[in-house]
Amino acid sequence: MTADPSDLSLVRRVQRGDKGAFDALVLKYQHKVVKLVMRYVRNPAEAEDVAQEAFIKAYRALPQFRGDSAFYTWLYRIAINTAKNAVVSRDRSPVDFDLDAQNPDESYDLQGRLKDSETPEGLVLTDEIRGTVNAAIDALPEDLRTAIVLRELEGLSYEEIATAMGCPVGTVRSRIFRAREAIDRRLREVFEGGLGRAEELG
Amino acid sequence: MNNDELYSQLSAMFDGELPAPECELLARRLGRDDLLKARWGRYAAIGAAMRLERGVRLHGQLARRVSSAVAAEPAMLVGSSPAIAGRLAGPRLIRWWQPVAGAAVAASVAAAAILWLRAGSPDAPIIAASPMIASASASTSAADTSDAATGSDSYVVPPSVEGPSAAPPTELADFVVAHSEFSMPLLRRSALTSLVSSEAVSDSADAARRAGSTRSDEDRKANADPTH
Repeated sequence: MTADPSDLSLVRRVQRGDKGAFDALVLKYQHKVVKLVMRYVRNPAEAEDVAQEAFIKAYRALPQFRGDSAFYTWLYRIAINTAKNAVVSRDRSPVDFDLDAQNPDESYDLQGRLKDSETPEGLVLTDEIRGTVNAAIDALPEDLRTAIVLRELEGLSYEEIATAMGCPVGTVRSRIFRAREAIDRRLREVFEGGLGRAEELG
Repeated sequence: MNNDELYSQLSAMFDGELPAPECELLARRLGRDDLLKARWGRYAAIGAAMRLERGVRLHGQLARRVSSAVAAEPAMLVGSSPAIAGRLAGPRLIRWWQPVAGAAVAASVAAAAILWLRAGSPDAPIIAASPMIASASASTSAADTSDAATGSDSYVVPPSVEGPSAAPPTELADFVVAHSEFSMPLLRRSALTSLVSSEAVSDSADAARRAGSTRSDEDRKANADPTH
């Protein structure tokens, strides 16, 4: 897989010394990296520490990134290695193995178990954000909702969505943008204080 | 450009669907504009919330911590990325690796010179009989012949050159000169000096050997002729 042009342009900015461009890469991939790391470490706080370490390693290694593969593929490899090293250094086994070995017959809800270690405030906030996003999506016109769902949940490209919806690629781009703006507007209405803090970092 | 157009571009860039030239321009702005970056982060949070990913935040501590840590890192130099950044950067940017690479090549040349000089000693086995060395040997013997001719009035049959003892320094000299672009001046001069002195030693050893051989011929003749 070749590099995403938007990721590559940000990577080039970082390689030229623009640290702000690296913030954008972190903001884009932080959720995915934490999700990935959670397969190896036990709790969200530790996962965030490992994810932070992985991002910093990636930043230091960025001069060697040649753009032959997708940036996120390269980043994920660093994250997995960092997580494995963290597990080894703490003499722990990955969560999946622990659960299987201790309770082979019991059906574990891994997501549910890991949630217990999050702070109650964090869980409430996550649920509130999800609820707000879902409500905003439900309120979207059908064409906008279909476009954003095909993009975010199915991972289709604009061209594939255009084929599926029988419309030009430019229309798909406009629909996805308008869907995001509507959801974002609703988020800002609900989390005005939180968004105020979000504006500080970006 | 109005904000709607800008945000539309941002949304397309987030999905990797913006043409590369527009990505370059928007990436520049995104790195500097905190409000734009915040919107970019919310686009990521919307997708994560839709996919039921964990720990979705609109103002995550993780991104802030990474940003602080990266701010404390030394500035990244373009020359350290020869594949992409170096190509884009052009000649005006600093290429810190060039002196290091030059020193490494110079050290390699010096090491090679020592090895070849040792290999060129009379006790060492013949190094190679490659055409390159053979031609170097031929040119060296021709030079010896002309020197001998100019140094003496009488014609002297040139001694046959056995073994490549003179070839390695010549070969090395060519090598050093050819790679002089990458080597440091001091090391280059040192290597060339070693070569010249080694050739001088080699020449004087040959002369001594030839003189010794002439004296033994005369001694043999004197011993064989009792009237002498």
